[in-house]
Amino acid sequence: MTDQTTNEVPTHAVDISALGRTNEDRQLANEEICLEVKNLQLYYGEKRALHGIDMHIPKNRVTAFIGPSGCGKSTLLRCFNRMNDLVDTCKIEGQILLENENIYDRTVDVTELRRRVGMVFQKPNPFPKSIYENVAYGLRIQGINNKRTLDEVVEQSLRGAALWDEVKDRLHDSALGMSGGQQQRLVIARTIAVKPDVLLLDEPASALDPISTLKIEELINELKSEYTIVIVTHNMQQAARVSDYTAFMYMGDMIEFGDTNQIFTNPNQKQTEDYITGRYG
Amino acid sequence: MNTVKDSHTHHISQQFNEELEGVKKSMLEMGGLVEKQVRDATKALIEVDIELAEIVVGRDELVNNMEISIDQECTQILAKRQPAASDLRLVLAVTKCISDLERIGDEAAKIARLSIELSGQGDSQQGFVEVRHIGEEVSSMIQQSLTAFARLDVDSALKVAHDDKIVDLEYRSTVRELITYMMEDPRSISRVLNIIWCLRALERVGDHAMNIGEHVIYLAKGLDVRHMDIEQVEDHLETVNK
Repeated sequence: MTDQTTNEVPTHAVDISALGRTNEDRQLANEEICLEVKNLQLYYGEKRALHGIDMHIPKNRVTAFIGPSGCGKSTLLRCFNRMNDLVDTCKIEGQILLENENIYDRTVDVTELRRRVGMVFQKPNPFPKSIYENVAYGLRIQGINNKRTLDEVVEQSLRGAALWDEVKDRLHDSALGMSGGQQQRLVIARTIAVKPDVLLLDEPASALDPISTLKIEELINELKSEYTIVIVTHNMQQAARVSDYTAFMYMGDMIEFGDTNQIFTNPNQKQTEDYITGRYG
Repeated sequence: MNTVKDSHTHHISQQFNEELEGVKKSMLEMGGLVEKQVRDATKALIEVDIELAEIVVGRDELVNNMEISIDQECTQILAKRQPAASDLRLVLAVTKCISDLERIGDEAAKIARLSIELSGQGDSQQGFVEVRHIGEEVSSMIQQSLTAFARLDVDSALKVAHDDKIVDLEYRSTVRELITYMMEDPRSISRVLNIIWCLRALERVGDHAMNIGEHVIYLAKGLDVRHMDIEQVEDHLETVNK
């Protein structure tokens, strides 16, 4: 039997304004900016690899660079901690501001910059030392040798890299005996041990099996509350899964930058659409 | 011009092209069948053709099976290809459209069943003109929404929404007229009620055709315009096109 008299709207009705369409895309304008790239041009000898890139990388967010091979995404990523300085023929014009300071300024200490902007590569590259010494390495070269401090940082970093439970009983075993996925997380632990501001990840999961890949992705999601993360990936689904913002690059140009949800459902540029739907070529 | 070039081809993977083209084609086929169902059901009613009405009722099972099989194809694409951007929108739009088409099929079958019932309730022609008129209108709305889908034509999709408003008005005024008729002649009530239910079914068909139009706008422009007024939708599209 139904009660015909109660036609009033129940007071506990769901607030639908919080649902669906009103949920706007992320806006760069509402973000705190960590890295700002201003008209960045990069030459390898005569060849211009980056054609005047302008972009903002928001703080405590994951920004993914996608694009076909040779489009300049890794090159751009390496500019953020001046890894390209190591390439003889490389010439850079323009600016990159880290918290409003130009990292290409002559007064910048590159070692200190690389502490603040850590990098993880495609192939896990642990040092041929114990797990413990790998993580403690960055602190030791800073001259920190206090065992208690080191123990604390090693544990914190390994926990931060979601590795602690797997290795806590064999901290003094060689790092080379770990699986690829564990090695990659160890490298991330080593990077975060020195408390960087920014983490650069260059294809961090492309040499790993699917389960390790998911662990790394999970880790990226946890780390973004403390670090600004920039990731280069060939795996578009991975970019879609882990990132908040996505930048599509092509032939040394930044074609489109925007909210990941928007880029993967309704990109503004035809080139972006063609690439993410697999029509590029 | 609001049409967008159809680009569900030119994938690096030829197989993927074929799969997307396949679901799109199947959906349009299903749409064609459903449109025929509505036309035949209306015809069966007006011409008191019981045989045709029975054919329509029988064919509804075919419509249901098509929905299931197209849904399966879409699931496979989502699972295997992880489509993005316009490909993703195509697969989503197809899954939504086929459930609207299936509902249209149900309405057509309902009209066919009612027309069998009506054939045993005397031969008054009251309301037939309106059924013919609204039936014709909603059938061409289905056709137009399907053409809009095939061509990604936003203008045609909007036209369907405009037509739906007109159908709603016509439905309401016809019902009012038939209510007067029932008051005048209470013996006709059960028969006229059946006619009203047929009209109601046709009006629902129009609503589903409009929904398909909305899915077309989502597919072509990436805008979710469900539950918006037409004016709002047009404003929305204008800002996007700028």
